[in-house]
Amino acid sequence: MSRGATSTSRVKSALLRHETVLLLVLIAEVLFFNSVGRNFGTSANVANIVRQSVEIGLLALALTPIILTGGIDLSVGSLLGLCAVVFGMLWKVAGLDPWLAALGAVVAGALGGGLNATLITRFRLPPLIVTLGTFSLFRGLAEALTGGTVAYTGFPASFLALGNGFWLDVPVQAWVFFAVALWIWLLVHRTTFGRSFRAIGFAPEGARYAGLPVERSLALAYVQTGAIAGLAAVIFVSRVTEARANAGTGYELAAITAVVLGGTSIFGGTGSVHGTLLGVAAVAVLANGLSRIVTIMAISRELSGILTGALLLLALAAGAVTKTIFERRNRRPAS
Amino acid sequence: MGKYSRELTVAAVLAALLLALAIFAPNFFAPQPFLSRLASQMPALVAAIGMTCVLLSRQIDISIGAQFGLCAVIGGLLAAAKLPLVIVLGGALAAGAVMGALNGALVAWLGLPSIVVTLATMVTWQEALRLWQQGRLLNLPPGVQWFGLSQTAGQSLLIVVAFVLVALAAWALRRVAAGRFIYAVGSDAEAARLAGIEPRRVTFGVFVFMGLLVGLAAVMNVVQSPQIQPTCGDGFELKVIAAVVVGGVAVTGGRGRLWGVVPGLLLLANVNPALTHFHVQAYWEKAIQGAVILLAVLADGLNRKRAS
Repeated sequence: MSRGATSTSRVKSALLRHETVLLLVLIAEVLFFNSVGRNFGTSANVANIVRQSVEIGLLALALTPIILTGGIDLSVGSLLGLCAVVFGMLWKVAGLDPWLAALGAVVAGALGGGLNATLITRFRLPPLIVTLGTFSLFRGLAEALTGGTVAYTGFPASFLALGNGFWLDVPVQAWVFFAVALWIWLLVHRTTFGRSFRAIGFAPEGARYAGLPVERSLALAYVQTGAIAGLAAVIFVSRVTEARANAGTGYELAAITAVVLGGTSIFGGTGSVHGTLLGVAAVAVLANGLSRIVTIMAISRELSGILTGALLLLALAAGAVTKTIFERRNRRPAS
Repeated sequence: MGKYSRELTVAAVLAALLLALAIFAPNFFAPQPFLSRLASQMPALVAAIGMTCVLLSRQIDISIGAQFGLCAVIGGLLAAAKLPLVIVLGGALAAGAVMGALNGALVAWLGLPSIVVTLATMVTWQEALRLWQQGRLLNLPPGVQWFGLSQTAGQSLLIVVAFVLVALAAWALRRVAAGRFIYAVGSDAEAARLAGIEPRRVTFGVFVFMGLLVGLAAVMNVVQSPQIQPTCGDGFELKVIAAVVVGGVAVTGGRGRLWGVVPGLLLLANVNPALTHFHVQAYWEKAIQGAVILLAVLADGLNRKRAS
């Protein structure tokens, strides 16, 4: 039993190391792009980086508790698209005030997350395949509602300020992001309830026998993710000034990449919210920095995609290798 | 019925859909469009053989759409250089095998989860293909389409090849040691290891096999049109995974039968044409496909609950 305790502290120290390494990578990225890229360090560009990463960042934050439980949600990008369409329709077709429509989009997101939660907790279905199904379902509903082509535009300036304005010299949506980040961090790292996420990911049956509310924790994680996807949809629409069915395509991959890059194990059990924040920042700075070096927009996007994929593989491989080394070291005194 | 209830249910739903089409939209079965529709599903069917093995061994591969696009472009470039068909096929198969081997090595020997590994390789291959081709359409020389045969003969050939492969693989999964190993590793890797099977080798082999079949599927796609779109693999992975899951193969490994995948794929593939024949807007396709996947896994879950 003492082996379990030492290995937890070992894993903890490895985690610490993972986040430190990631922080160093981030600093190296910033220094590199600042010396090579054009106008990288300007305040306008920093605001740009923040604006472009808030929606994916919100999804990554929401996914962190889910991945900690050993689950996954592939439907977040599609749900963002569906919520964007619901928001556009509530405002344009139903004639609601934009902020009321925004509330409607968050509720719609929570309902979508509720569908995932019901299928996963009540029927004990694997999250991977449930959310693969809703990935298709949510995007399909968004396309069906808009007939595939309709885009809602012409939002009032007061609403567009959310995605394009500043408050206290900081992009408005960054404040929303900070608030959500603080909430998730407190939930995961400072409450007993949030601790159950890691317990479930570490040993689901053990968590059940220990009397933890496994179903309730899981349900909360998925419903919360849906609501945050709705919030991200509202910010997305405000930023790009239109609501279309293809909003957020591919965002689930970017968000999962940020979480895993941030050191959360895809098997569940270990990880942290601050790691996720570093992961989001590392990916966002890489994408933006490349666009400051390579002049052709499309090429810089493709390069950043390739590098993000390679970075993810490297992070995974490094994690696997250190884990094997630890296990070998642990095994020796035992035998 | 019990043992095959899942496969038979899917087959019955498919039969009901086809029957409804026969009554209300008989021109759905007009020979030429019917043959074309069937032939256009054969690449997905061939890839579904590989995906069945991957899921049976308790892994997943979501990079096959990106692999499919790359293999199609590589095969297309070889064909455009007027090289013989054998080399086109060899090039696509080799490209698929290399990409599958990379996934397999990372999953089997580094012990990394396949969902994240193939997520990373998917993004990498997808963007590499975009960077390389910049979305260019690739025109093929005459004589490549339908292998230079008539359209009907070419389509029939594709259909025969795909179904022969399915039959062979279904038999091998049941009767050949290598096939049984896949089930064994997917049910319980540790027990399989104690029984003398090398789980890592099986996992690696399954991913390489998947890549080879994607290469073949890409060539089967290339010969169906005079042009290649580098985006032809977008969404391919979902279509194949959905077909396999609806066909009754469990994502938790070790459970399912390859022949069930055939009605699974045909059911999903006929949703869209059926919609147009019933004059429903085609925009509902993705939503209905998603609903079918959810219903299939829900039925599975309820069955298991009742059984336990």
